[in-house]
Amino acid sequence: MAIAKAERLMNLALCLLGTRRPLTKRELRESVEAYLEAGSDDSFNRMFERDKDDLRELGLVIETVENLEGETGYLARRDSNRLPAITLDAEEAAALGLAAKVWQQARLAGAASGALQKLRAAGLPEDVDPYGAHGALEPRIPVHEAAFEPLMLACRDRRPVVFDYRKANAATPEQRHVEPWALECWRGHWYLAGWDRDRGAERVFRLSRITGKVRSRAGRFTVPVPDVVTVRETVASWAGETADRSARIRLRSDAGFPLRAKATSVRELGGGWDELEIPYGHGLDAWLVEFGPDVVVLEPEELRADVVDRLRAVAKG
Amino acid sequence: MAGKPVRPVNAIDQTRRMLSLVTYLRERPGARIEDVARAFGITEDELVSDLDVLPMCGTSFRGGDLLDIDTDGERIWWHNPAALGADAAEPLRLAADEATALLVAARAVATLPGLRESDRQALLRATAKVETAAGEAAGASSRLSVTFESEGGVFADVDRAIAERRRLWIRYYSPARDEVTEREIDPIRLVSVGHTYVEAWCRRSEARRTFRLDRVAEIKILDEPSAPPEVELRDLSEGLVQSAAEDPEVVVEVGPGGRWVAEYYPHDSADELPDGGLRITLRTPDPASLKRLALRLGRDGRIVEPRELAESARRAAREALEAYDGAGAAG
Repeated sequence: MAIAKAERLMNLALCLLGTRRPLTKRELRESVEAYLEAGSDDSFNRMFERDKDDLRELGLVIETVENLEGETGYLARRDSNRLPAITLDAEEAAALGLAAKVWQQARLAGAASGALQKLRAAGLPEDVDPYGAHGALEPRIPVHEAAFEPLMLACRDRRPVVFDYRKANAATPEQRHVEPWALECWRGHWYLAGWDRDRGAERVFRLSRITGKVRSRAGRFTVPVPDVVTVRETVASWAGETADRSARIRLRSDAGFPLRAKATSVRELGGGWDELEIPYGHGLDAWLVEFGPDVVVLEPEELRADVVDRLRAVAKG
Repeated sequence: MAGKPVRPVNAIDQTRRMLSLVTYLRERPGARIEDVARAFGITEDELVSDLDVLPMCGTSFRGGDLLDIDTDGERIWWHNPAALGADAAEPLRLAADEATALLVAARAVATLPGLRESDRQALLRATAKVETAAGEAAGASSRLSVTFESEGGVFADVDRAIAERRRLWIRYYSPARDEVTEREIDPIRLVSVGHTYVEAWCRRSEARRTFRLDRVAEIKILDEPSAPPEVELRDLSEGLVQSAAEDPEVVVEVGPGGRWVAEYYPHDSADELPDGGLRITLRTPDPASLKRLALRLGRDGRIVEPRELAESARRAAREALEAYDGAGAAG
């Protein structure tokens, strides 16, 4: 039976951590049973390279040293792999315990529990759970978008990417070349901010509109990454939350609570109607139409025309 | 014999865990399986499968210094802790992904407006310590951020009501009916998935309901004790809205401008149409609640089924047009 990958990785890690001098590939091959069973040199080499990459993903710092005979040796020095001293009290431990549970994405969920396990091994207090007292709070970070993981890695490693992106109103996707800066989750959706090479400008992309695969591109970033990358402000303006004008509408007295919540003034008209002044930003026409006959736009004329236009489309079916 | 792990075995996660286990077990001879599994946040079966692998590991399989770790099913014994050099079992530094996952989550939780202040302070202290300990590995965590949305005051009241086991009175806005209703609820838990919700037993409908905090128009903590019946808590990782197979089916056809519907509405299927649009099939216990969607879509889409729903949207649009001088006739 083939030896499980976890066993092989564990053995390689213990060899590299346990040695005081660099071990050559030959020595490692003789020390790890799975490598002896690997068969040809080629398949051993491929396996060894992949395993080193995997251990580095786990945070292991593996040094490469050349000996006098020109042979390459490997070791994981204790002092570069040791967790610095960290002391956390029971409340701090419980708070981290809650935080480690919020990811709903496999890779980050695994990484968060891995971090907690390392801290546990370093003496993080156990069995204290002030949240357990009523266990009321259950924050979850949703990640449904397939593009998330490749983009997260590209942001981390500062690698340019290319993907097909379908704009909100476009019939077909368009290829975009992007230097990815940062990912942000707002209202349960993920967005990417970065440098759009095709547009020569900073852009924000919604991950759910990326179609197909995200592929890495060779080379480096051509534009410096700003110290502060803002995603929320851009997205909020798409959502019409940066209104700079106002509109006057008539609203039936018992309807439209969220419109009332946003209104800057409300005046009773009698006969079952109120008059409201509300902020007028992108998307207001579509929102007002949702209220059907309970809303009538008074001004501006442009908004009135947009709403009538939309209502006609629905009326025709 | 090892039990079957509940989650699929991921070699990377298992290796990471076993490296920490070695350090942990070395300090705790005779540790209980139950305690170790809890400390590591894994099932006992997962731990036992790690314990099956560890005796195959060591610094050299030929040198005879494999880890001699075994279990009697209750406690774990390591018979040759010297098999790893004194410093070879020290806690390992955090990887970039580990630091990112933990720090981004901790910062997000700290933004929850209703978090108790003492808990927030503990979290901020812990975050700072982990940042320091992670060193360079913490750098990449600035490339991800998460904000939970919730209404601060409402959150604090719900949190307090849960802690003190008291009933709540709310005025709640339901977008489906465009109406505000009053009801008394016995809160069970707060859930943040994008927006923040309270799951509660609704005394008006005598059923479990989920309320979005930003739709709570008004809230009061009552003197009556909260007494929600014992209910099994649902796993919400698949989303808050879980439709049932017996719910009526709604079919919506949208053009390219209406593709966002598939992003916002959980659906059974979304098939591409030749014009770049989608044919979306979804289920809802209350199709009438989608009239708003039909109105919003305008020329970007239409309800195909049920026909009564499509017709009610058309009627509402015609009625609305009557208020705009003759605009209806011009259509």
